[in-house]
Amino acid sequence: MSEPTKPAGVRRREFLKVLGAGTAAATAAACTYAGPEETGKLIPYLVSPDQTVPGVSTYYATLCRECSAGCGVIAETRDGRAIKLEGNPEHPLNRGALCARGQAGLQGLYNPDRFRTPMIKSGSAWRAATWDEAINLLAQNLGETRGRGVLGTGVFLNQHESGSFPAFLDSWLASYGMRPHLSVDFEADHGAIDAHRRAYGASWPRWNLADAKLVISFGADFLDGWGASVPHQLDFAEARAKIKDAPRFIYIGPRRSLTGLNADQWIASKPGGELAIANFLLGRGDANAASQASGVSPATLQRLAQEFASAKPALVLAGGGGDNGVELVSAAAALNAVKPAAGDAITSLDGIARTSDVIATVERMRTGQVAIAFVRGTNPAYALPKSARFADAFAKVPFKVSFSMFPDETTELCDLVLPDLHTLESWGDAESTRGTITLQQPAMDPVFTGTRSTADVLIAVAKKDSAVASRFADADYRAWLFKRLPGGGSAQTMTAALAKGILPGSSAARAAAPAAPAAITPAASTTGDFFLVTYLSPSLGDGRGANKPWLQELPDPVTKVLWSSWAEIHPETATRLGIERGDILEVKTSAGSIRVPALVYLGVRPDTIAVPLGQGHASPAQSTWFDGKDKAVQWGYGRYARAVGANALDLLPARSNAGGGVIGTTRCSISKTGEQTTVVSTEGSARQHGRGIAQAISVNEIDAHGEQVEHEVKPPGDAPHKFLPGLRSPVAADAQGELGSPTAADQGVLQGLYDPKNPAKMTKRRWAMTVDLARCTGCSACVTACYSENNIPTVGAPWQNGVVYATHSPGFNITRGREMNWLRLERYYEGAEDGRFTEDFEARFIPMLCQHCGNAPCEPVCPVYATYHAPDGLNVQVYNRCVGTRYCSNNCPYKVRYFNWFGYGEPDRVQYAFPDPLHWQLNPDVTVRTKGVMEKCSFCVQRIREAEHRAALEHREVEADEFTTACAAACPSRAITFGDAADANWSVTKLIEDERAYHVFEELNTYTAVVYLKKVNHPAGAVTAAEGATR
Amino acid sequence: MATTASQYPLNGQRPNIPSAAVRLPAVADYEQVDREIIGTLRPTLGWFTLLGIAVLCLLIGITAWMYQIYSGLGVAGYHPPVMWGVYIITFVFWIGIGHAGTLISAILYLFRAGFRTSIYRCAEAMTVFAVMTAGLFPILHLGRPWKFFWLIPYPNWRLIWPQFKSPLVWDVFAILTYLTVSSTFLYIGLIPDIAVLRDRETNPVRKAIYATLSLGWRNSDREWRHFTRAYLFLAAFSTPLVLSVHSVVSFDFAMALVPGWHTTVFPPYFVAGAIFSGLGMVFTIIIPIRKFFRLQHYVTLNDLDAAAKMCLFTSMVVGLAYLTEFQVAWMSGNKFEQEYFWNRVFGQWAWAAWIMLLCNMVLPLSLFSQRLRRNPSWLFILSLFINLGMWFERFVIVVPSLSHEYEPWQWGSYAPTFVDYSILLGSFGWFFMWFLLFIKQLPVMAISELKEVVPPKRKHPHPDEFEHSRDEGIAHPFITGEHELPGGAH
Amino acid sequence: MPGIIGAFVEIDSAVEAIEDLRRNRFNDLTVYTPTPRHEFEHALEPPPSRVRIFTLIGGLCGATFGYWIAIWTSRYWPLVVGNKPIASWVPYTIFGFEVMVLIGSLATVFALLALSRVPRLTMTVGYDPRFSGGHFGVWVATSPDRAKEAAELLRKHGAVEVRHEA
Repeated sequence: MSEPTKPAGVRRREFLKVLGAGTAAATAAACTYAGPEETGKLIPYLVSPDQTVPGVSTYYATLCRECSAGCGVIAETRDGRAIKLEGNPEHPLNRGALCARGQAGLQGLYNPDRFRTPMIKSGSAWRAATWDEAINLLAQNLGETRGRGVLGTGVFLNQHESGSFPAFLDSWLASYGMRPHLSVDFEADHGAIDAHRRAYGASWPRWNLADAKLVISFGADFLDGWGASVPHQLDFAEARAKIKDAPRFIYIGPRRSLTGLNADQWIASKPGGELAIANFLLGRGDANAASQASGVSPATLQRLAQEFASAKPALVLAGGGGDNGVELVSAAAALNAVKPAAGDAITSLDGIARTSDVIATVERMRTGQVAIAFVRGTNPAYALPKSARFADAFAKVPFKVSFSMFPDETTELCDLVLPDLHTLESWGDAESTRGTITLQQPAMDPVFTGTRSTADVLIAVAKKDSAVASRFADADYRAWLFKRLPGGGSAQTMTAALAKGILPGSSAARAAAPAAPAAITPAASTTGDFFLVTYLSPSLGDGRGANKPWLQELPDPVTKVLWSSWAEIHPETATRLGIERGDILEVKTSAGSIRVPALVYLGVRPDTIAVPLGQGHASPAQSTWFDGKDKAVQWGYGRYARAVGANALDLLPARSNAGGGVIGTTRCSISKTGEQTTVVSTEGSARQHGRGIAQAISVNEIDAHGEQVEHEVKPPGDAPHKFLPGLRSPVAADAQGELGSPTAADQGVLQGLYDPKNPAKMTKRRWAMTVDLARCTGCSACVTACYSENNIPTVGAPWQNGVVYATHSPGFNITRGREMNWLRLERYYEGAEDGRFTEDFEARFIPMLCQHCGNAPCEPVCPVYATYHAPDGLNVQVYNRCVGTRYCSNNCPYKVRYFNWFGYGEPDRVQYAFPDPLHWQLNPDVTVRTKGVMEKCSFCVQRIREAEHRAALEHREVEADEFTTACAAACPSRAITFGDAADANWSVTKLIEDERAYHVFEELNTYTAVVYLKKVNHPAGAVTAAEGATR
Repeated sequence: MATTASQYPLNGQRPNIPSAAVRLPAVADYEQVDREIIGTLRPTLGWFTLLGIAVLCLLIGITAWMYQIYSGLGVAGYHPPVMWGVYIITFVFWIGIGHAGTLISAILYLFRAGFRTSIYRCAEAMTVFAVMTAGLFPILHLGRPWKFFWLIPYPNWRLIWPQFKSPLVWDVFAILTYLTVSSTFLYIGLIPDIAVLRDRETNPVRKAIYATLSLGWRNSDREWRHFTRAYLFLAAFSTPLVLSVHSVVSFDFAMALVPGWHTTVFPPYFVAGAIFSGLGMVFTIIIPIRKFFRLQHYVTLNDLDAAAKMCLFTSMVVGLAYLTEFQVAWMSGNKFEQEYFWNRVFGQWAWAAWIMLLCNMVLPLSLFSQRLRRNPSWLFILSLFINLGMWFERFVIVVPSLSHEYEPWQWGSYAPTFVDYSILLGSFGWFFMWFLLFIKQLPVMAISELKEVVPPKRKHPHPDEFEHSRDEGIAHPFITGEHELPGGAH
Repeated sequence: MPGIIGAFVEIDSAVEAIEDLRRNRFNDLTVYTPTPRHEFEHALEPPPSRVRIFTLIGGLCGATFGYWIAIWTSRYWPLVVGNKPIASWVPYTIFGFEVMVLIGSLATVFALLALSRVPRLTMTVGYDPRFSGGHFGVWVATSPDRAKEAAELLRKHGAVEVRHEA
């Protein structure tokens, strides 16, 4: 594509116009798209924009549209650039938390593959166009189509949104005589939504986990992307945090997902067999029949039934992705004793078009009944099973318009691209929970001036057409929207509302979705000796996350595989078939076949193969490899997604109710291709080898004795010692503690070491962190938060290897253990040591980051003081001083130091991790590390200093829990707490006192500042302390 | 020499080799020493070929390094948690090599071990060049090699100094000291010999150069008096220095808490290993030299025999250290240590560990046989195995320990890339380039010291010397190794 | 000062010549020998070498400096690493030792050069290349009037060549 006016993107000073847009008016004024300012250099302020202090962040409350849930986010902007997304604490849905996908929205905004101008397909080639040209072309086509009298057959496929836009869109379509648009969400669990509507009168009730004593999930992965995962996680973690009367959790399904790994018990039923178990619990049918259908032993079912009967009340959830999904979810609803709170259902999932409607539309296209088609924010060419044959049906449509931001598979089939604005650049609203409107305001001016909000484009198009112009009098969508918001968008209401990001009331009602035509259900593939389970990748979703390097680099919470696809197979089956990790398998169904590396996984039934969705973006147009420099449009969903992994949807029959995660009775066969590959994974050993890194304790044990017994296996001769929390612990006995005090026993020179000017007045600090493993679900939101806050480069892209032997295999650097995750989430298995199948194994998640040891082994070995101990107990890394001996990393028992093997931060290199404009996401408070230096978690020292400076400016001390680190802020299960262990007012100090507290590798005397609280297991029935105390 | 041999027939009985008082029976007088040693300085075609090969290897290494500096350490085979690899291994390897020289020249000098005389010059030169080679590796293993001088305490306006508690700074001091002292030692010993070259040289240019290098040395009694004294003190200094340097190198590992590194046996273990590897390299070098330079009657089988005994001894010390490590791991009850050592011998790194054990523990035991001790060909082959084994010893110390540390989640593997190998090759090129240049410009044996052990001319032949030679039958081929003298030599 | 040089092939004749010369109060003698021989030491009875002093002083200065640089720099800008004392003398012993060896050796070399008057630019009168080879030379610095006598003595003991040098 031709580059827009030199150099692409928005100039800094143009951003400054929006700054200070705390009030709607100011923002509105700024949101008229002035052309790019023709200047190449940065100029200091002559007249500084209102309310703007350079280097001080401005925060905008807005909306996340990475999935349909519609969480509220706070966008932190600095000098006009959004640099960080965090949850909006005011928002009823996510209450300040934000998942990895939400945070990665930033990389959608700054994605280097975004369309920079409208594009027109002439012949088979694409050319950049001006907006006038593009809009005229569309208007003219609409005219012609109307002329032919077939405009009514037009179809608009829009990404599912709640809020006013759907209504606006329908009214626009209606004004042209077109039927209402299809609100498409390929991730939605349609079966569950239908059943919920019947059972609870809401498409997605707010589950009442707080009151449950037992949680049973029939394949409902409510922690990894089923419905709205963030609120689920918040509630689940809260429930589990009530250690003693926390609900026990049983997961029933063929594959142990992230949710399954968080369960206390896994019952591995056959795909589709869940219904039988549910019915058995309902008293319909006996255990043997259920056992027949589900492949679960009658004994287990009996025990389940007893427990279900005894433990009251029980919350029962079910996923509706399977063939009998609707029945299953209905059965679960019947079983569910904990009624969801009626008032506050999650409304953002209302009005999603059924897949049957989508497929019906596709069939209409195939038969040439569709004269014009619009696609926005959804990618059916990829996300519909290949057997739906969307591509050739779509080709039959005479004129196809895409409003996509990215060059994806569907857009490539269109004739006209009118690139949309990102959520963070445009106006909008959503109704995530009943009675609350979440406002979506621009956090910044568009990154590319060649992009426009679809709504505004539609208005512009309408204005070209005398017939409909009258119905769109408003200048732009913002004006249209404000009129319809409660309070009529008056300045004062909006000012107040935009500050919070939410507004009480209800969005403009949209026309009801069309009634579902009869479902088309092609026969599911029944050949092959394995069940096929395809599931939504928690990080990539239905694939829309695949073009964001943060999400590609985020290890799958369960398998810890990244930058690739894989097929999960149970060790037992693997040994039977002589398959090893990394063998490339061909998975075949009647619908199609894919080639993916085998991954041996304990948590899948021996008769089941599980394959994740989200990868395998491809483009017929371009097969040439991207070398990190190529400037052409990166078709196939951009440079980061193309040719990574395989698309499991190719295996699926087009199904009437195919939600993204399909746990159907589809059968498949596998065969070894004989090829081998290294599975791209961050996992070293999945076992703790009794080293007590992630420790757990049985809830009974806590009941048994108030003071819990020590389980740590110490080397013989190592004297057992009582855990000393807080300041009393060695954790605080660091430089600041002893050497800092004016009365130090140490030689005189050290008195008031770190503050020679006033030794006496030194405030004693010890920054510390607790991680509650009873809360942590392993969702990995903290990892992405850390990448985003600390400018951590992603290193897995295929072109980021050495120059000479670049292998072009995605994740090559990571196969060499070179990932840079300052905070990594380790997942250890307990039990099931022998390769044989058992439902009885446990997974422990533990976030591992720099422990900021009091006796840091890394410090004394550095020859140049590049790492040393700060007065407030931080273990500091000085990048500019580092010469790269890497001795510190060798000497770190926790292995949390990461080395810059290449110039990831140097724009002139192929390894560059932030191609323009991705570098705009960089946090100005954190330096980008150069080649050849060591880096590691800094406890977000930039946030610490910011807080201290703010306090100093306001002539006060830093208040307790005044701020927190990025990982703690993001954590949707509130497992991470950060604070000053030297000050009793901070909540971290109280948590450190918890009886479950322990240090990792305490026997090494490192005196870590990170204190973990043991995971709490809820074994079935009465279990002796000994059994429960697995370690 | 045939003549001297026939002069003193062996009276049937086997001579007492080690205490042969006349060390060089086949050397008649001072002039012969001058003639034969200086004779070796004539460049030959073979020499030029070898030099060419060495320089080629060096160029390959330099290219690889430039590539690595440009694109970053990522091009080498590092695989976290294995943050140190071939470069550190090779660094320790060369430092080890660099120990035999000073050991032989200094310690054996103090102990008045006779067999040192003929081999110490080679060994010393080897030391200097080996240390020059080793010194490069800490620099080229850095992430930012252009900042290596930050490890040196130089006055700077920011008043930032190195962190003197870091073993790496200890290294800097130890190695620079060692390089300075050993090269000084070499040069001081060379001065009288350069004077000899000066006086024999006819080519005016070379003569001028030698004259300058010899600092106008004129063999006066006063010069000799101070010379012998100074030499003694240098030896006295070098002896503890040798021991300290490799101890310090071993601290790089012993001071870390890495399982397999953090052990007190390392300093003696490393010193023994260093001497062992050094002797190995001495054999690798001296045996071809004595053959191609026809100096078998200077480096006699006695000398090789004695050196071989030392080699055997150090090999057994090293072997003991290996076993001690296992025993300590076993008795410590420390599961990290135990699992690591299990992984070392039976786990993913078994192949390397067994190469090490075979080459350093098993093969050298052959030296218990006197026949093999006195068989130069076998010594040469064995020495190659020793060099290999000692490189792998360092591999086994560095890589398996790092790849199998405390945190199971971060257990990894390691595989060098062509960059590592090229730089390793380059280091050999660099070393042998210097050594080859040395042996054709300067005497490979200490002329003036050889003269010390050659009986001077006398009006009245010295009774003791005569008696000795008679009794010991020192001219027997068994001692001189005359049987391997190429026909027509001298 | 002018003198006479006598070249000998046999070491014992050279020694005898020296003893005889000293008996005849020729005390300013210099012996050239290809390799240090104790015979000459005994014959000349020279004072012990003063190299040791330099070595001692150099060593002491080195040790002091080694400790000082480490301790001073640590305290000049005190930063805590691994909760260890700012100036920890135990590891700093390494610097004490290494620098002692370094300065000590350099001082020794300096002493060697200074005391034996090298480097020198010109060959002294009376030196002959043979003296680095097989011959032993005895240089008698004497006034012309006694030159004859000295030459006699040298010849008597079998000097293969006797030369007057001025």
